[in-house]
Amino acid sequence: MFQDRRIGLALVLPATLFLLAGFVLPVLVLLSGSLQGPGGWSFDAYVRFFAVPLHQEVFWRTVRLGVLVTLTCAVVGYAAAFAIVNTAPSARGKLIGLLILPLMISPVARTYAWIVILGRTGLVNQALQGLGLADGPVRLLFTETAVFIGLVQLFLPLMVLTLVSALENLPADVMSAARVLGAGWIQTFVRVVLPLTREGLVIGGTLVFTGAVTAYITPAVLGGSRVLMLETLLYQRVSVAGDIVSGSVIAAILVVMSYTTNVLLRRIAAGRGR
Amino acid sequence: MIRLPWMRIGGWATLALVLLFLIGPFAVIIGAALNAGTVPAFPPQGISLRWVVAVFEVQSFRASFFLSVWLAVGSTLAALVLGVPVAYALARYPVPGKEAVRAVVTAPVVVPGIIVGLALLRHAVVPLGVPVMEALFLAHTALLLPYAVRVVAASLENLRPDIEEAAVMLGATRLGAFLRVVLPNIRNGILAAFILGFVTSFNQVPVSLFLTGPGVSTLPIDMLAYMEFTYDPSVAALSALLALMSLAVVLVAERLLGISRFV
Amino acid sequence: MTDGFLALSGLTLAYGGTVAVDRLDLAMAEGELVALLGPSGCGKTTTMRAVAGLLQPRAGTIRLAGRDITHVPANKRGVGLVFQSYALFPHLSVFENVAFGLRLAGTGRDEIGRRVAEVLAMVGLTGFERRLPKELSGGQQQRVALARSVVVRPRLLLLDEPLSNLDARLRLEMRSELRRLQRELGVTMVYVTHDQAEALALADRIVVMREGRIEQEGPPETVYTRPRTAFVARFMGFETCLAVNGGRLVAPDGRSLPLEGAADAPALAWRPHGVVLGRGPHTARVLGRSYLGQSVEYLLETDAGPVKAEAAADAPRFEPGTTVAFDLPLAAAARLESAA
Repeated sequence: MFQDRRIGLALVLPATLFLLAGFVLPVLVLLSGSLQGPGGWSFDAYVRFFAVPLHQEVFWRTVRLGVLVTLTCAVVGYAAAFAIVNTAPSARGKLIGLLILPLMISPVARTYAWIVILGRTGLVNQALQGLGLADGPVRLLFTETAVFIGLVQLFLPLMVLTLVSALENLPADVMSAARVLGAGWIQTFVRVVLPLTREGLVIGGTLVFTGAVTAYITPAVLGGSRVLMLETLLYQRVSVAGDIVSGSVIAAILVVMSYTTNVLLRRIAAGRGR
Repeated sequence: MIRLPWMRIGGWATLALVLLFLIGPFAVIIGAALNAGTVPAFPPQGISLRWVVAVFEVQSFRASFFLSVWLAVGSTLAALVLGVPVAYALARYPVPGKEAVRAVVTAPVVVPGIIVGLALLRHAVVPLGVPVMEALFLAHTALLLPYAVRVVAASLENLRPDIEEAAVMLGATRLGAFLRVVLPNIRNGILAAFILGFVTSFNQVPVSLFLTGPGVSTLPIDMLAYMEFTYDPSVAALSALLALMSLAVVLVAERLLGISRFV
Repeated sequence: MTDGFLALSGLTLAYGGTVAVDRLDLAMAEGELVALLGPSGCGKTTTMRAVAGLLQPRAGTIRLAGRDITHVPANKRGVGLVFQSYALFPHLSVFENVAFGLRLAGTGRDEIGRRVAEVLAMVGLTGFERRLPKELSGGQQQRVALARSVVVRPRLLLLDEPLSNLDARLRLEMRSELRRLQRELGVTMVYVTHDQAEALALADRIVVMREGRIEQEGPPETVYTRPRTAFVARFMGFETCLAVNGGRLVAPDGRSLPLEGAADAPALAWRPHGVVLGRGPHTARVLGRSYLGQSVEYLLETDAGPVKAEAAADAPRFEPGTTVAFDLPLAAAARLESAA
């Protein structure tokens, strides 16, 4: 009954054409703009883009924050996921609900909270001054730390959720087997849990890393123009300076980063590199 | 799994800290929203609803709220209308160039939203005279399509194809079989996709960033703009309202369909 | 009972509020093979996990070779465990699975190679070194699990229903192989099972557990022929257990039969083939009949409730629905100490 290729084609055609015309084509045209020099195709735009020290700084900051946020989410994520998997099933459902909740709340609202917490008169500054650890208000907003905290809060739930399902799929008793064979907790984690949950870790890591390097709201609100990341820089170059060439260069960098992370990490996850 | 006392205590401590970090800020927002003073502060200096009331008086918030709602509903429905047939075809039929179709359909996940907005602005709105509102709608639909396909595909996976064959044997047409037998069974998946799509579109910023203009702005974009120039608790109040709205959505969705299975 | 190679005394284990094992005492000699036998939920697996160090007892002590190991972590006990699910590491080859414990112990490369080859030969898996667990049959996985546990030369080897996931033919084969292995290695073994035939065939001593306590322990023949309680009797194939009260045999629901002769026990039990059919002082209605090959099994409805009886296949048959005479001869009965 399900052999007719024409029906299959007819069903996928509208969406495919829609995306090709309304999405793939404009994006490709935009990206190709970054490869056009005065005399045809060239990497000129990239050379000029990276010649600006600020741009280099922003590029490396974006990569650095992406890596740091991903590592932090991975470490905290494993701890939290272990704790969740160890609770009774009824509590587990509620905990997962609590992790999903922030994902459904407007990132603008989530980020805004950190202004109240980290601001000049915010909670942290009140605490620091109350404990006598600081004389006046400490600058916390518009720092890389603030952006880091905001990004971790934004993306941690994704990591925890993927690791919870990875740990739930761990075959029965393998951890116990490792223990009985003489492995300490750390050895059990490194030799058994980590290799067996690698796929979940990589999927979670991809979500967090691409999410962090392509974040806009968090650096815009918590970093401002002092702590630019690639997306905020792109917006600034295009809408303030009218510099569409730099815009398309950044766009190309972001797409390549996002695409290679997706493809590369997924390949690592699928491979059985022994 | 092995359970020892120290692991239990350590586990709960970790969870408490993580949840404090993830959920705690919303308590701060709600506190700041109820602040009687003129700057957002926590703990609040006196309790008052003046800023909550103020939110409803800001004209642009009201306009962009409704625009965001209609945009979210419209683009989610469009994404489902385009996406459900794709999910169904990929699950049941031989599709020529299956992998290519899959690649195109998941492309919006890989391309950062801000680039979609910029591309449409530069290569559709400006040269072709596509109105900004239509471009915004188009961009949101493209963004939601992959999610619609994925969520619906997940619920199709649990459905055996032989029930359709049974329906056809009993005299139904293919379309009839789909409408009478398949659709009712994947209803929850479609509902889940609708809720996730609505929330994603409603909260979306980067895609919309370049696609706003005179009279066309979404709520989160408006909030960002407002925050840039004004530092009063009305954004806190609005954020608190949005957070409570999401809480309601999550509770209803969890009760209705157990949405945690689809995220 | 605190002496012996392995000695559990007052061992109490609980999950949350429910006590799974209640003040258990058990001693084992070195080189002995003890089977923990009981239905699911009787606490046998829980006991074994505590001995392995995977569960912390609420009370009591575990001593191994004279040393108190109650609070020694699982990875420092030198106790091997073969899991019911095998728990092979799916990301490691057969070789690496078996070598896992040796690597952790810091064994040299050459010795690892030698010892892994040796145990793989012992379980008949030479040549399978590079396979992944998912590329093996159930029986082969079982052998890898076994090899992985014995290669580290544990002082005590625990086996948790190791054969329950195999088909009947393989089960018989592995049963004799386990016995051979135990003799070759001379290792002390605790074997957990719910299958009485397995326990009888393998063990030097059987410990029957019920609701977290030991119901009876002893050599296989003793437990098989002289069960002390109705619980053990039923487990050993005495399908009919009746209390003796005022010269009558009384079923749990109060219905009864007159007892021919005098019994010196509070309860009596019969195996199906101990019930005499076609003659005797009682009558019953035949409810059902199944042909078992060598014999024919009948289900009778008697004045004391249902009774299972077995007759040779060449004996005269009785039709379901008819009435038949039968006897519960005292000579064939097991004398129980308790009717429960």
